[in-house]
Amino acid sequence: MLKKNLIIALALLFTVTVSFGQDRFYTKTGKITFYSKAPLEDIEGKNKTVTAVLDSKSGAMQFAVQMKGFEFEKQLMEQHFNENYVESDKYPKAEFKGAISNNADINYSKDGTYTAKIKGKLTIHGITKDVETTGTLKINGGKIDASSTFNVLMSDYNIKIPSIVKDKVSNSIKIVVDCDLEPLKS
Amino acid sequence: MKRILIVIIFLIIAAAGWYAYKMYQQKTPDIVNKTPDVVISANDLLDAFNKDTALARKRYVDKVIEVRGIVKRIDTTGSVVLGKEESASEITVGLDRRHLKDYEKLKVGSNAVLQGVCSGYDKASSDDLMASLGTTVELRSAGVKEKK
Repeated sequence: MLKKNLIIALALLFTVTVSFGQDRFYTKTGKITFYSKAPLEDIEGKNKTVTAVLDSKSGAMQFAVQMKGFEFEKQLMEQHFNENYVESDKYPKAEFKGAISNNADINYSKDGTYTAKIKGKLTIHGITKDVETTGTLKINGGKIDASSTFNVLMSDYNIKIPSIVKDKVSNSIKIVVDCDLEPLKS
Repeated sequence: MKRILIVIIFLIIAAAGWYAYKMYQQKTPDIVNKTPDVVISANDLLDAFNKDTALARKRYVDKVIEVRGIVKRIDTTGSVVLGKEESASEITVGLDRRHLKDYEKLKVGSNAVLQGVCSGYDKASSDDLMASLGTTVELRSAGVKEKK
């Protein structure tokens, strides 16, 4: 009898753990690319090791990005980005913590493309700001391809453009997020 | 005499301009062909960040790392994950634009040697969504190192 109860208890525990795990989707190899288009130079940096977690039950989401993880084509751009602009030694990480506000509209168990309204706090260069944007969730066979494009102003995050190139470097940066999320088994 | 001086000054300016232009155009180096600063296993690298984060940062971040480990996941859009099946802690590797297809040389479950620059780490904290993700050490500008 005791043994039977134990088995039932273990089975229940296992079910709870599994279902808890399936609520969350994640990646550690998400991609974030930023573009700055300006007369002096077009700058493009890409990070291929972005960590992201989405809780499908609550709609909560979180991103973590190492600033030193951005790759550039030109050596000088990489150096300027890290040393002069984002000061990656001092502020190594960018972070987003937020949620999908229309989470109830998304059926995570049904394949399809859904528009997600995202609200949250974005921290770059040690400064946290409220952001609001839209994204696309493509649900396919239990996986989610999450993408979003939005703009941030360097001045909002106290990222200073050296005065010598002030008129030639854009204050507005386009950020493109593309993450293939898998179920998180925990 | 004056004319010679003008020509010399012009040549100096032209040379300086050419040098500045070359500097500006210089591409980021291919890290995979460089001599590594550190040769380490994936497990030892993760252990180092778990034991003493400050020391590990000093030793490994910004350094060229040759890391050996078991391929856990392959992302065909340019990333590879090294780690043990039973552990959430992993090394995530972003492939350099010149090595984007290097994942084709790899097989999930097999040993691999990759080289890149350590760009940082993430440690799970208990108060957020990332609590169960363990420690993650990240490499960028990486590629598969050919066996000698």
